[in-house]
Amino acid sequence: MSAAATDPVDVARAAVEHAYEQGWTDGLPVVPVTAATRDEFLAATRRDPAEVIVHTGNLGRECTVEQVAVNAAMAGCRPEYMPVVLAAWDALMAQRIVTSGGWQSTSGPAPVIVVNGDVRGELGINSVGGVVGPGFRANATIARAIGLTVRNVLGIRPHELDQATQGLPGRFSICIGENEEESPWAPLSVDLGAAPGAGSVSAMLIRTCEFVDNRDTTDPEDLLRDIADTVARTGAVVGARSSAGLLLGIEHATMLADGGFGKADVAAWVCERAVRTAADLRAVGKGRAAGAAADDTRFPLVPGPGQFPIVVTGARNAGMSLVVRPFGFGGWSGTHPVDGATA
Amino acid sequence: MFESMIDPTGAPDPVTAPGTGPALAPRPGDLAGLRLGLLLNTKRNAAELVDAIAERFTRGHGTVVSARHTKPFINDPVSPEVLADLVDRCDVVVVGVGDCGSCSASAVTDGIALEAAGVPAAVVCSEAFRATADAMATLRGSPGYDYACVPHPVASLDAAGVAVRADGVLPELVRLLSSPAGDRVGT
Repeated sequence: MSAAATDPVDVARAAVEHAYEQGWTDGLPVVPVTAATRDEFLAATRRDPAEVIVHTGNLGRECTVEQVAVNAAMAGCRPEYMPVVLAAWDALMAQRIVTSGGWQSTSGPAPVIVVNGDVRGELGINSVGGVVGPGFRANATIARAIGLTVRNVLGIRPHELDQATQGLPGRFSICIGENEEESPWAPLSVDLGAAPGAGSVSAMLIRTCEFVDNRDTTDPEDLLRDIADTVARTGAVVGARSSAGLLLGIEHATMLADGGFGKADVAAWVCERAVRTAADLRAVGKGRAAGAAADDTRFPLVPGPGQFPIVVTGARNAGMSLVVRPFGFGGWSGTHPVDGATA
Repeated sequence: MFESMIDPTGAPDPVTAPGTGPALAPRPGDLAGLRLGLLLNTKRNAAELVDAIAERFTRGHGTVVSARHTKPFINDPVSPEVLADLVDRCDVVVVGVGDCGSCSASAVTDGIALEAAGVPAAVVCSEAFRATADAMATLRGSPGYDYACVPHPVASLDAAGVAVRADGVLPELVRLLSSPAGDRVGT
């Protein structure tokens, strides 16, 4: 397009191209941001624009609320999403693995942002069918805002400081609502100390999600065995440990709750049985951590039930859940309040 | 045409201009009998490779390992306490192994910190992580900072493979630690 174009649609396209030329995008088009747009986003939070909200200890880099606002706007957020984006950053900053170099890892880890409370409905954050995406603006753009901030403000870009070997699909697109309405248990945020209904955000980094499709049994222990088998696959073992958690579907959660299991019971059951022997580890060349242990020595892979996060999410339409693989063993970030301008 | 579009990138790093990083520490010229410090991370085979390198220094140059520290978190810069101990007890230091996305960059940070403290350092990185090591050197104001590369991989090697890497990288480490600083890139 010529720079003299006057059709506003052509001008918009040229602005998008300009952002590409500057290296400001994650590969997809971004929304051009003016000072007026930035100020709309800043008006949606009570936090000081100059507040440093993101930092990387190992790089000595920082990011302010104002810079988050610019990148959230570029990501396609609406201004009212801003308090959730900020709470997501608060949550991520509570994870040591995030502040000390996690974004640079060969694992290419993805942030999982879990939103609880009434704010889900207010902002249109999906917590039911297709919750991991795509198709929902709030989910997609809140997560993307994190990624653009990592790229643009922290300057962590692929092939440079970002050394992801492959990364994972949808690395900066996983923002989910917990399906509190259909979950048989208390929400994650309440487990972590927030009041029911209060807008709350928790986060962690993960290496991948893998499905457990089980619509075949009505016995909760059958399902738990199926989950434990996925958790215990050797490919996910590093040293003699695996990290794991669940995005548990409604049908599975309901079956487990009806069988008398609480979330902590599920975590304990799976952690007790997600075990490999020294022989199993040796058979895949990962026997080093087993040392001289006898072949039948059992290695519980998940460090403990407290390291097995569970969120109930998705549609009540099939017996499916996702095993998530947290990056490291830091657990949840805690839960962080969504603090809007009018809160 | 798009001057009103806000630049979303971060502020420049405090030290990014070439040459604003610390000067390299003066080189000893001859390594004979010097006190050798080792700064390891917990990557697989890092300790094995650095120890194998130290053995070769001892055999070939009569150096004495005077301090050996392992960083508890691979991504973090060396702690002030460990840095002070290395400065106090070592004439030269080998740092390694940079064999991941963030620890390679971190190893370069540590090497530059040792130089700033007056101790010649040689960083060992896997060839696969040159990009991130170089990016960190630039971030620290020392673009072109010179370190030693070993062929990738390191983590999957057996003891014999580690020995081959140690043999191969030794001349470069000797050069990095003993040559006059003026011979080196990134000063």
